[in-house]
Amino acid sequence: MSDFLTAREAGLALCHDCHKLIPWQHEQGGTICPRCGADVHMRKPHSISRTWALVITAVILLVPANVLPIMEVDSMGSAAYSTILDGIIYFFEEGSYAIGIVILTASVLVPCFKIIGIVLILLSVHFRWKSWLRHKTLLFRVIGFVGRWSMLDIFVIALLQVLVNFGYLTSIESAPAATYFTGVVLTTMFAAITFDPRLLWDA
Amino acid sequence: MEAQIDKLDLENVMACPECDLLLQQVDVIRGQKALCPRCGHMLYSGKKDSLDKTLALSISGLILYLPANFLPLMTLDTLGLEKSGSIYDGVISLYQHRYFFVAIMVALTSLIFPLAKLSLLFLVSLALKLKVYPRFLSLCLRYYHHLDEWGMLEVYMVGILVTIIKMYHMAHIQYDAGFFCFMGLLWVALGSSVVLDEHLFWRLIEHKKS
Repeated sequence: MSDFLTAREAGLALCHDCHKLIPWQHEQGGTICPRCGADVHMRKPHSISRTWALVITAVILLVPANVLPIMEVDSMGSAAYSTILDGIIYFFEEGSYAIGIVILTASVLVPCFKIIGIVLILLSVHFRWKSWLRHKTLLFRVIGFVGRWSMLDIFVIALLQVLVNFGYLTSIESAPAATYFTGVVLTTMFAAITFDPRLLWDA
Repeated sequence: MEAQIDKLDLENVMACPECDLLLQQVDVIRGQKALCPRCGHMLYSGKKDSLDKTLALSISGLILYLPANFLPLMTLDTLGLEKSGSIYDGVISLYQHRYFFVAIMVALTSLIFPLAKLSLLFLVSLALKLKVYPRFLSLCLRYYHHLDEWGMLEVYMVGILVTIIKMYHMAHIQYDAGFFCFMGLLWVALGSSVVLDEHLFWRLIEHKKS
């Protein structure tokens, strides 16, 4: 570690918004970036506790999101409800494997991967695990990149609800899990934003 | 430690946002990338004519925005019954079915944030091009930075593809003007974030201030 000099060791803080380096005095409060006007912090404030709170919220929301139906298909007066998993199984039974894998990835694998990944990173900071730092940073980068793709299922339902609306014949409507699932996407995206990956390297 | 800092010229020094490593800035040409040697984070990449390209693409995006979101994307035809819909209709439909939270999230990520991103980029690049520096310029660029990952046009595009494949066997699908405008908007919006050189934009704003 001693080969490297970090900005913190050099007494410099990085602006979160415009990435300018700013000389930092100890125990300083309320510094504002001279270039862009953002509040400057040495590390994102309350990063660990905020990220834990958001991840735990996501885990709680994940249960109703998967157990409750996300879509209602009405056909000739009879209603059929399907959960996220039902929708994926439907594609596999139909033989549309490619699209089944896309939905499986976006709706099930990505949220689980994000939650497990962020918990792993948080534990790693807590217990000061110094191994695999480069890989954990890469993991965090991937989590930040894939997060938004979970909105896929919600967009599909929004479109189907408009397009498949033939009255008594057949219609598709959203069902309660849509709200919980959107909540999972929102909280996990915010969890990735509130976490400061530099904490991994500070250990 | 302190002696080392005095020698550093703050203009040419930067820190990796992911691992805090202090680094000397190097020049990269177009097609090259500067990576953090410790954590592998992509620090910046070489871009040419960023200001002109960003301005051009944000104007094209703003022109395509209205038809892409408010014209029907496609028409489904089953047993002589026809139904068409736009991205805007999707939001309204969720709202009418009382899924307010979902409706707001879809409206933000597919309608409002993409528009905000294009408008902010247009404002900033136009001001820098004309060499006028109003006070809200840095605020605009900061907002753009924060909104970046919340505009989800490319996710919506895959959503449209999934919808097409889902409906392919059940109905005849006719692609409408909105679909092609949306494809255009998607490429222009993606392009604008690729050609934008945030480092350059911030330097331009800074040099005016000092």
